[in-house]
Amino acid sequence: MIREKIVILNENGLHALPASRFVKLAEKFKSDVKIMKDGVEVSGKSIMGILTLACEKGSKVTLTTKGQDEEQAMDALRKILEGQD
Amino acid sequence: MAKERILKGIAVSKGISKGTAYVYETKEIKIMQTPVPTIYLEEEIERFLSALEKTTKELSNIKERINAEIGANFAQFLDAQIMMLRDREIIDTVKKGIESEKKNAEYIYHRVLDKYAKKLGASRDQYLKERVADIWDVGTRVLRNLVGLTHASVVDVPQGSVLVAHDISPSEAALINPEYVLGIAIEVGGRTSHTAITARALEIPAVLGVEGLLGKIRNGETVILDGNRGILIKSPTPGRIQFYKGEIRREVEYQKMLSPFCELPAKTRDGRQLDISANIEFFVEYTHAKKYGAMGIGLFRTEFLYLTRRGNPSEEEQFRVYDELAKKMKPDPVIIRTYDLGGDKIFSDYHEANPFLGWRAVRVSLDDVAFFKIQLRAILRASVNRNIRIMYPMISTFEEIKKANVVFNEVKKELKKEKIDFDDHLQVGIMVETPSAAIMSSQLAAQVDFFSIGSNDLTQYVLAVDRGNERVSHLFDHFHPAVLRLIKQVIDSGHKSHIWVGICGELAADPLAIPLLVGLGIDELSMSPVAIPKAKMVLRALTVPECENIAQKALNFRGANEVKKFLKRTLTKKFPGMGGIK
Repeated sequence: MIREKIVILNENGLHALPASRFVKLAEKFKSDVKIMKDGVEVSGKSIMGILTLACEKGSKVTLTTKGQDEEQAMDALRKILEGQD
Repeated sequence: MAKERILKGIAVSKGISKGTAYVYETKEIKIMQTPVPTIYLEEEIERFLSALEKTTKELSNIKERINAEIGANFAQFLDAQIMMLRDREIIDTVKKGIESEKKNAEYIYHRVLDKYAKKLGASRDQYLKERVADIWDVGTRVLRNLVGLTHASVVDVPQGSVLVAHDISPSEAALINPEYVLGIAIEVGGRTSHTAITARALEIPAVLGVEGLLGKIRNGETVILDGNRGILIKSPTPGRIQFYKGEIRREVEYQKMLSPFCELPAKTRDGRQLDISANIEFFVEYTHAKKYGAMGIGLFRTEFLYLTRRGNPSEEEQFRVYDELAKKMKPDPVIIRTYDLGGDKIFSDYHEANPFLGWRAVRVSLDDVAFFKIQLRAILRASVNRNIRIMYPMISTFEEIKKANVVFNEVKKELKKEKIDFDDHLQVGIMVETPSAAIMSSQLAAQVDFFSIGSNDLTQYVLAVDRGNERVSHLFDHFHPAVLRLIKQVIDSGHKSHIWVGICGELAADPLAIPLLVGLGIDELSMSPVAIPKAKMVLRALTVPECENIAQKALNFRGANEVKKFLKRTLTKKFPGMGGIK
């Protein structure tokens, strides 16, 4: 299991398109993906869950990946949150 | 006979229709709570999953239909809805709920959705709040499929109806058939809602935001919907019906008389060719531009992209819109105007005393280069189609053009480095809408490939009149010789520097102004698509020398009224029996 604290740097926060890109990418990995903000944790493979977190640019979240491809998942998903995809 | 009542709303789509009110009420689905015996739990989950599958198919069908009829960009909201349907967290929660509580799928699913809707609804963020409507749009479809109700659909609306509803979901709005639905009246919503956009795209008259509508209109009663004035008339008096009959007939005859002009070239009688192009705000309007015979898009406003998202749309999102529009219009040109946003649209807590003299348009873009670059990149990438042009709004000084071009060239360099193809020769122009830009046009002309005169703002600034202020709006008149003289100056400066000069304000669509503008040497007129046939008709009856004569006279009057009186007299002579051209 990998756990990292990430500050969301994506211009639009984790809204609409970035959120759906995040989910589409997360679904490609076998690992379990979770995002936590302000003590609330949701599945990284759920668009509704992510939207309800209401992550704006500058929000601090904890991203957790767990499974056989957890490292690749962490690397790829971090990039979306940091707006470098 | 019932008393006539006039219900006021917001005019969002032009036209008039008389029809039978079809009150579209989505029947509440009763969600019953029923226990499910353990041996049937698996079956219950199966039932839920197949309802999801059926709904996915429904939405995919709607999406295909929209793609074919309106364009792929319009169907994007359905992608988001389909994604919600497939949401693993929701599916898993519902499955677990059915298993642990041994209750029916409808009950559990409804409760789960309600939880998400409440969370999003409580958000401070406008975008997230608006997703609640999407949740229930999707959710209601699934629930209907679960309880075995056929979806109440606007497809069932009988011919000759004026559709009356509290609200129509985006997926329903896309199914409206203009052959059956003559008008649309909705209790909620405004100019940028999905229903408004759909109504305009289908050219169905529509009035939105009619308060208390459903309580006042009964199914089957005769109503008149006036999409020009933004009203719905219940139980119209015979006099009123007579009046509107005349109005509808005149409109139909007028359109019929004008329709042959859509196809004809925009040429004066003695052969001078002008570009007549379209001002559009929404992608789907390209269909109108084509239908009415535009020779390109003279102004594509991009603010809508920003405003519907309450945030800067990503490069990809913008690129798709620009690219698709360019492809649809090829080989005709598409002029994309960079954001003309006021600071208040970008920062919700931002207010200023004088917005028209304040932080807006290119001033905002130049202050936030990262934000500006995203838009320029998207436009440049779409320029591979080789028919895109770009235009900066509200330029007031020479330095602004230079600054904007520095950013523009940086973006070009970046794209080259990334080996992304674009049109290196695409034309870059400016809106001339501030007095300083007009007065200095001879200096500015060397910096750009074209001028497009924004006559509305130019008039406001030159006459120092806020047309939104009722006390002074009567002073607003784009026929004021002060405005006309500046326009002449801009056209002359442009031509001296061998660049073309167009006009994209309301003046361009005013039939009275056409001889004047032609006489001043204008190269392009850009207007709302529906105004194009009339403009062509007027243009085709004129010759350049007579226009030059008209222009010279007009410039020497003392005020706007004298100019208009003169133009009316001249045009009535040219088009007798038309009851005046306006």
